[in-house]
Amino acid sequence: MSLKDKCAIVGIGFSDFGKRVPKSTMTLTLEGCKRAIEDAGISKDDVDGLLVVLPSSEGERHGWVCRLGSYLGISSTFSAGLDIGGATPIAMVQLAAMAINAGMCSTVLCCYGWQNQPMGIPLTMPPGLDFTVPYGDFAALPFKAHVARRHMYLFGTTSRQMGAVAVTCRKHACMNPGAQMYEKGPITIEDHQNSRMIVEPLRLLDNAPITDSGGAVVVTSAERSKYLSHHPIYISGMGQAHSGEFMRPWRDPRYPEGTFEGGKAADIALGMAGINHKDIDVAQFYDGFTILVIIELEAYGFCNPGEGGPFVEEGRLELGGELPSNTAGGLLSEGHLMGMGHVAEAVRQLRGECGKRQVKDAEVAFVSGYGGAPHEYPISFSYSTLILTR
Amino acid sequence: MVGKFEGLDIPKPVPALTEDSKPYWEGCRRHELLIQRCQDCGHYRFPPSVLCPKCMSTNTEWAAASGKGKVYSWTIFHYLYHPAFSRDIPYNVAIVQLDEGPLLHTNIVGCKNEDIYIGMPVEVVFEDVDEEISLPKFQALAE
Repeated sequence: MSLKDKCAIVGIGFSDFGKRVPKSTMTLTLEGCKRAIEDAGISKDDVDGLLVVLPSSEGERHGWVCRLGSYLGISSTFSAGLDIGGATPIAMVQLAAMAINAGMCSTVLCCYGWQNQPMGIPLTMPPGLDFTVPYGDFAALPFKAHVARRHMYLFGTTSRQMGAVAVTCRKHACMNPGAQMYEKGPITIEDHQNSRMIVEPLRLLDNAPITDSGGAVVVTSAERSKYLSHHPIYISGMGQAHSGEFMRPWRDPRYPEGTFEGGKAADIALGMAGINHKDIDVAQFYDGFTILVIIELEAYGFCNPGEGGPFVEEGRLELGGELPSNTAGGLLSEGHLMGMGHVAEAVRQLRGECGKRQVKDAEVAFVSGYGGAPHEYPISFSYSTLILTR
Repeated sequence: MVGKFEGLDIPKPVPALTEDSKPYWEGCRRHELLIQRCQDCGHYRFPPSVLCPKCMSTNTEWAAASGKGKVYSWTIFHYLYHPAFSRDIPYNVAIVQLDEGPLLHTNIVGCKNEDIYIGMPVEVVFEDVDEEISLPKFQALAE
């Protein structure tokens, strides 16, 4: 049984967010939940399913989703805490649709909270980091520097091309008063090239900022969605792909070794929705780092392997371009909203709420998530996708 | 970034031995690079694990690797993530692909950062860190 258009996103909401928000992870989560429920025009008592991103910044906290339910005063018949890194927000929406159609619940709140410097959480070195940290390799960013280096080596991709992604996202953020970088104003390729090296070849402006935030979306059945505040935004396609293979998610006969089919995440979603790439009006690509957008474009079949650099350089991702993308500014400039920001912006675009940055007559949106723990051994990647329609 | 840690003598983090990784680190201490090899399908794997990701076999031997490989990727750290590395900035972190197949994070030693390149032939050298730990690092392969 296809789940195409069987469920819809009917509410979105975020906490106040920014580089430092002096609130706990739970408070940020609760604020996002409250706003999403209000946006949907439902009562919290209508919610009977609860999904949350496991907040790894809090350490190992068993029962996080159950405590969240207690704080919200929600008694659910389906709950789970999930983690596939930045691919999780989309995975929650997918699981919500499955749970509703399985008859486990009728309306699901999918949420997250992220506080970058929670008090009293020690830095530990779990197994896996033993093979990176002693060499001075830390956190998620340096591995993307390796991904970028390989892409530059294989295809001649340039730092300026990566810069084009950052410039596009900032341009869009400047049309979004809620964006973390709104007041910083636009940037140029030269600004990108002049920004300091963090881990070569990645510069400061290749990276998303640190963001403390919380957010949520409400998913319910297509039937129920007709009677709520907003035009329902249907979940028309969804896909995932995971692999421990190395860093080339695209299918390329020239480089068979180490190639894995990360692109399956898009194939499955497009197949379910019964559409192809040219039907997509607006896209939100997971962009914790500029290079990821280039790689996703190739993996998901928007261009051929190795053509992602020239693709972004020619302005195709800008509003008015052939594939307007990351229209709220993306993780790079709206803020690191874990990928939930991408789901929400797709919903806003399809509702037609985006004002100056509205893609005219947007009816089909593509959204992607990316995650895993590629800075730990064994290296692994997760890709998740959604096709949303109005 | 370096300034805020000045004067602090913070040791570099060292690996904690686990049941899985102990033979690897004990080999390194003897200056031998040991990699797990599946006794059924012959696949070399890293990191150490109870079973083979190719065939699920748990028949495993620790095999002496050639210690030779090629630079698969390399980066230069300009940002200080940990105070113990303040004297090293800017330092390289590379991924080396061993001739046997597995990829390892490491540092390239004995050459300037700007002389590292993808495909550079390298061989293992061991850096003794303390009584228990020696870190495998790599240097340009002698011609």
